[in-house]
Amino acid sequence: MFQYYLKLSWLSIKRTPMLSALMVIAIGLGISVSITVLTVDYLMSKDPLPGKSHKLFHVQLDTYNKGNTDSAPGGLPYQLTYQDLMNLSRSEIPSKQSRSLRSGFSVIPEKVGLTPFSRSARVIDNDFFEMFKVPFLFGSPWEDEVNNKAKKVVVIAKRLNDKLFDGENSVGKTINLDKQLFTIVGVIDTWEPTPRFYDVNNGAFSDTEQLFIPFSLIPVLELPSWGSNNAWKSEVFESYEDKLRSETMWLQYWVQLDTKAKQEEYREFLAGYVEQQRPLGRFEKEDAKTDIKDVVQWMENNRVVSDDNSVLVGLSFMFLAVCMLNTIALLLAKYLKRAPEVGVRRALGASKLEIFTQHIVDVGLIGLAGGALGLLLGQLGLLGVKSLYANYERLVNMDLTLIATAIGLAIGASIIAGLYPAWLICRTNPSIYLKTQ
Amino acid sequence: MLKMNNIKKVFRTDLVETHALRDFSLQVEEKEFVAVTGPSGSGKTTFLNITGMLETFDGGVYELDNEDVSKLNDKQRSRLRNEKIGFIFQSFNLIPDLNLFDNVDVPLRYRGFNAKERKQRIENALERVGLSARLKHLPSQLSGGQQQRVAIARALAGDPRFLLADEPTGNLDSLMARQVMQLLEEINQQGTTIIMVTHDSELARRAHRNIHIVDGQVSDYQDLQPVLDVAEA
Ligand SMILES: Nc1ncnc2c1ncn2[C@@H]1O[C@H](COP(=O)(O)OP(=O)(O)OP(=O)(O)O)[C@@H](O)[C@H]1O
Ligand SMILES: [Mg+2]
Repeated sequence: MFQYYLKLSWLSIKRTPMLSALMVIAIGLGISVSITVLTVDYLMSKDPLPGKSHKLFHVQLDTYNKGNTDSAPGGLPYQLTYQDLMNLSRSEIPSKQSRSLRSGFSVIPEKVGLTPFSRSARVIDNDFFEMFKVPFLFGSPWEDEVNNKAKKVVVIAKRLNDKLFDGENSVGKTINLDKQLFTIVGVIDTWEPTPRFYDVNNGAFSDTEQLFIPFSLIPVLELPSWGSNNAWKSEVFESYEDKLRSETMWLQYWVQLDTKAKQEEYREFLAGYVEQQRPLGRFEKEDAKTDIKDVVQWMENNRVVSDDNSVLVGLSFMFLAVCMLNTIALLLAKYLKRAPEVGVRRALGASKLEIFTQHIVDVGLIGLAGGALGLLLGQLGLLGVKSLYANYERLVNMDLTLIATAIGLAIGASIIAGLYPAWLICRTNPSIYLKTQ
Repeated sequence: MLKMNNIKKVFRTDLVETHALRDFSLQVEEKEFVAVTGPSGSGKTTFLNITGMLETFDGGVYELDNEDVSKLNDKQRSRLRNEKIGFIFQSFNLIPDLNLFDNVDVPLRYRGFNAKERKQRIENALERVGLSARLKHLPSQLSGGQQQRVAIARALAGDPRFLLADEPTGNLDSLMARQVMQLLEEINQQGTTIIMVTHDSELARRAHRNIHIVDGQVSDYQDLQPVLDVAEA
């Protein structure tokens, strides 16, 4: 019967091309707006490391003095001080860990015809690559000992490798960063996690860095921060050493805790650490908090998906509802025109349910066409988003889930819109339409 | 067999109440050919629609093959209508975008026959009305008489026991009307019970029995004569 209904639907679309086209356009417009907004929302909030994100934790300590509280959600600062980072990283509880800083260099190319340019750099420990599943094209991360003993090695991104070495395996070659020669140990493949969860507070949707260098180089090269620095204490730095000893918060710290037990143990360890630091005059607050948040919690905490976006999603659904109301009006017009035929079908033995189903299949088909149009228009919408917000560039690609969502939404919304017209047409008295015309 | 006892039908529109049928009683036997006549607005179409279960009624009992129709739900009524009743209308009521084949196909689809059986039945039915060469034509490409024959083929395709015809010749000239009447008589002879509403007294006389409806009631109800008697006379 379903096939029969599809055939009838196709015939009726051919008979009422204008009405049908108007409906498809109405649905298409509604779907395109919804799907554009949903795409941005979905990609912003999707789990960047499925299966692993709940094992990776970002560490937070409340180092503020009495009476001062961080303005970040939850009242805990985003970042850590250098001294805390050095102390915490001695713990053996995490199976992997990486300290992290956003810095940068000017790259001085050897290749003729290229002028120096600046690139941001991620300053990390070697576990970073494995923790965040960074794919390597050539080479590998630096050895463990480099985490403690500074060495001028670097892992570069494919894009930079293409630019400097024409995409060839550059492992073993050197690269001049701020007039210092670094040895390349690895080249990573394209890696653009969206959102850039490992450092959401320094631009959740900006590109990943193209240089990765050992954290142990910080005191040696006196690396500047290219991200934010937060301080509550007025301290005068006469040397880089002073900054390292200060209460300035400018670094991030990720640990991998594989089991619930490990996570509990680590929480206790942090609480103990606070107590241990108190005699040194730090952690003035009696209830100085500590926390670990996994990747998803961390993104939520940092409002990676802004509340504006939820408002937009709501608005887009309202627009879809308006389009569907229009569709209801068009459907009523179309179905009332078809009432005589329904009278004949009833006289020939169609039940109300069969008439109802026939019309629901009909709107379903129109919904499908509307969904397809919506996807096309949605692509245009996403191009618009792309041109408006440069840093959203990587957000604007639809995957299968989104395409299925768009089609499902279109068919679902159409069927809901079709319920009333289909019900109306199936319960009208057939005898009225069978009278002499 | 079809039996109506004291059927009442009232149409209510805003302020007006129309008693379309009042204490309407009638019995139609297997294989009868009954002609229904009566002035305009007397309730003939209403009677036919209630017979075909297209219209509900407000009182009385209607039994079709000993089944109390008022106790059935829509699905059961539709099923019964589909299996036992064929309709023919004055204005043919073919579905304009479907070709002849697909028009005759309609009742068979709701019957749930498979494609092969449907095709067989459609071809047989169209052959019976002499239109088997025009399967792919649209109704608009046919004359009125031909259209009515397609409608008859459609009504017959499912082998119904009853054929209900509401002024089947009303839109046809007298020649075509006689052809259609002849077809109906043949069908009746092959065993289908026919109830036909008509304004044409000449055609009405060709039926086994005439029923005259006036003001929603059978005006001169004669006790039923066995069909075969009439046929043999
Ligand atoms: N749907 C309806 N709503 C209100 N009144 C109706 C309706 N259908 C029929 N009637 C009324 O019921 C009465 C019987 O109508 P019906 O159509 O049965 O007459 P008829 O004998 O078939 O007439 P005709 O020979 O003109 O076709 C008429 O007075 C008509 O106005
Ligand atoms: Mg009538």
